[in-house]
Amino acid sequence: MASYKLTGALVSALVIGFAGANLHQALAQEETPAAATTKHRDAPVASVSQDQLSGAAGDENNFLHTNGNYDQTRYYPGKQINTSNVGKLRPAWIFQTEVKESLETTPIVVGEVMYVTTSFNHVYAINAKTGEAYWHYKHKMGPVTTYCCGPNNRGVAIYGDKVFMGTLDSKLVALDAKTGSLIWQTDISEPELGYSETMAPTAVDGKILIGTNGGEYGIRGFVRAYDAETGKLLWNFHTIPEDSTGVWATHDATGKDMHRDIAAEKAALKKLGDPYKTLGGGVWQNPAVDLKSKRIFFVVGNPSPDLDGSIRPGDNLYTNSLVSVNLDNGEYVCHFQYIAHDVWDLDAVSPPILVDVKDKDGKTVPGVIHGGKTGNVYVHNRDDCSLIRFSEAMVDQTGMWSLPTPEGTPMLPGANGGVEWSPMAANPELGLTYAVNLHQPMTYHVESSPYPGGKLWLGGAFKVIPGSEQFGNVTAVDYNTGKIAWQKKTPLPMMGGALATAGGLVFTGEGDGWFRAYDAKTGDVLWSFFAGAGVNAPPAAYNVDGKQYIVVGAGGNVQLDFKRGNNIIAFTAD
Amino acid sequence: MLQLSRLAHGIFFTAAMLICGTALAQDTPNIAEKVKLCATCHGEQGIPINKQTPVIWGQNEGYLYLQLRDFKSGARQNALMGPLAAGLEKDDMLSIAAYFSKLKWPNLEQPSASGDVATKAQSAINSVGPCTACHLEHFQGDGSTARLAGQWQDYLHTTMLAFRDKSRGNNPGMSDLMKATSPEDIAALAQYLAGLQIDAYLGHGR
Repeated sequence: MASYKLTGALVSALVIGFAGANLHQALAQEETPAAATTKHRDAPVASVSQDQLSGAAGDENNFLHTNGNYDQTRYYPGKQINTSNVGKLRPAWIFQTEVKESLETTPIVVGEVMYVTTSFNHVYAINAKTGEAYWHYKHKMGPVTTYCCGPNNRGVAIYGDKVFMGTLDSKLVALDAKTGSLIWQTDISEPELGYSETMAPTAVDGKILIGTNGGEYGIRGFVRAYDAETGKLLWNFHTIPEDSTGVWATHDATGKDMHRDIAAEKAALKKLGDPYKTLGGGVWQNPAVDLKSKRIFFVVGNPSPDLDGSIRPGDNLYTNSLVSVNLDNGEYVCHFQYIAHDVWDLDAVSPPILVDVKDKDGKTVPGVIHGGKTGNVYVHNRDDCSLIRFSEAMVDQTGMWSLPTPEGTPMLPGANGGVEWSPMAANPELGLTYAVNLHQPMTYHVESSPYPGGKLWLGGAFKVIPGSEQFGNVTAVDYNTGKIAWQKKTPLPMMGGALATAGGLVFTGEGDGWFRAYDAKTGDVLWSFFAGAGVNAPPAAYNVDGKQYIVVGAGGNVQLDFKRGNNIIAFTAD
Repeated sequence: MLQLSRLAHGIFFTAAMLICGTALAQDTPNIAEKVKLCATCHGEQGIPINKQTPVIWGQNEGYLYLQLRDFKSGARQNALMGPLAAGLEKDDMLSIAAYFSKLKWPNLEQPSASGDVATKAQSAINSVGPCTACHLEHFQGDGSTARLAGQWQDYLHTTMLAFRDKSRGNNPGMSDLMKATSPEDIAALAQYLAGLQIDAYLGHGR
């Protein structure tokens, strides 16, 4: 009763004192802005056919796929810019986006029109020759976004007369390629449970393929196909099968002992059951498409929680794996797991590349290669996903695989890699693949906690070792032998990706703002440009009116805290 | 800023809880009615009544919504906010979150950290994560991740320690990261983050 009286007395005071006009005024303030397209003029773009998309590997004029072509070689066939004239590269134009934040976009070029995206899901259509904007689309973001490692976006896919983008609030949007108007929007999954999108979709045969982020939040990962016309779901492949236990592998793909306690895991399985519903397995990057066999190849990320294996017994299939499924219906074809029951987050992220490779008998067979966060390049037989060879280590692997402890265990590579999400480029003429790597010494700490319903769920922490030197490298690997052909050290850990060209060049950028061209055969640096902000996006190339351009985003990076910017820079050799 | 004695403070909180709990649970016709009592603690002009009560004006919408959700479910324990959130439906929570997220973050006029403290904090920031991987470059946060810049130093300090000892249990990832951070570093972080003025950097993004 006493409290009631006090309450009564306070009611008047509160209502009189706090229901002031300011709150009502505030109410009248702006509502949440709707998705908005600012149009200067229509983009003069022609419809993009499946034939064009299928023939992208030989197309000098356009850059139609995030990774160049369905094989994902990032090998541009034009030679106009080459080892003899690359030193003359100068900015042709610089386009500044509205968003000064981490840039991971690969520009997509169709004729004279270029499409780029930024953090927070803005899309720009710009003139590929002049850098002038045609239109700017800003996604209406939902209130709940749950994403790891920055509000990034890696670009659009184009198909017919539409461009497609996945969003941080786990939606897929289709825009009119000419006008930037929203045509349809589909919910992919539930952001409140940790799902988000940062990858560029892949467009093929009327389907829009996309995976999901969320391996740090206890999702159940997937790759899906949506109808390009309607946004309707066509098929879903769970990257985590209901039986995720596997074969209880004790060694990784390279034969190193992972020090698993199989008996303890089996006991945990009996007690806890299969952890498949919250086991993670995000797919961060585009699948490669084998048009001949109608199969796609992608890699699956880490299990959830990252560092605590005690509550997720088994191999945790298909985390940390190369997986192939049928393009038409999403049915499983084959997989190969690099690290069973990973407790280091050294997962599989960089997009796989389809190239012909020599098998163990020296016979040329259709292959798939992948650059791992482990710092190895893995070479597979495309038929059955089996491993043919793995490369020499591109980074220090001291202490691999020391188990995480509560106090922290030092081990290399640190949890960012090796090769992070950065796409490799391959030069099939030379039989080389080009990977960008990180060296960041870390200690691995484990802490156990139950599934938190969509919140950050690391199962511990990765801690940078104070005073330790961090750096990166650009490495060329002969995928027919596994030998390193050349390696160049960089002052900072590398993130962004590479482009190879028929002009004998490899382009890649660095976190301190340098964008460089390397001789594809020797690794000699032939040209450098200082962009002023981290160049942490994959480069692309195209040709308009007979002139070749190299283009790259310079916006820095959230994950490594590299200097932010908002520039798309196109270069020509003038 | 309103200062209350400990006793008056306790009475005030109890009273506000009872009032707000009723008012928020009712199907009131507009959001202003639902939120006006929040000012009891979080402040009429967005400046909370004490340094252990967080700024919610200008806080990120998704974060505010998830905290209300977690107060209701009990995943985040708070004697005052638990009962307040108990009667809220999802739409109420989203409306309240949207409302406060659009208000201007108040300047609490906390001093910038000294060079030594900032250096210590920066080292801690880069050690785990880095913190900016989620809270972003200026600690403005986004979506479901909290803005930390310019929040009360005391609240930041208490909260990081609460994550560390798991008394705040609604984000195990944060608990893990804080456990990997020393109490000395946490104190430096709280001081550094509280002193950040970031108005000039806002507006890039969603």
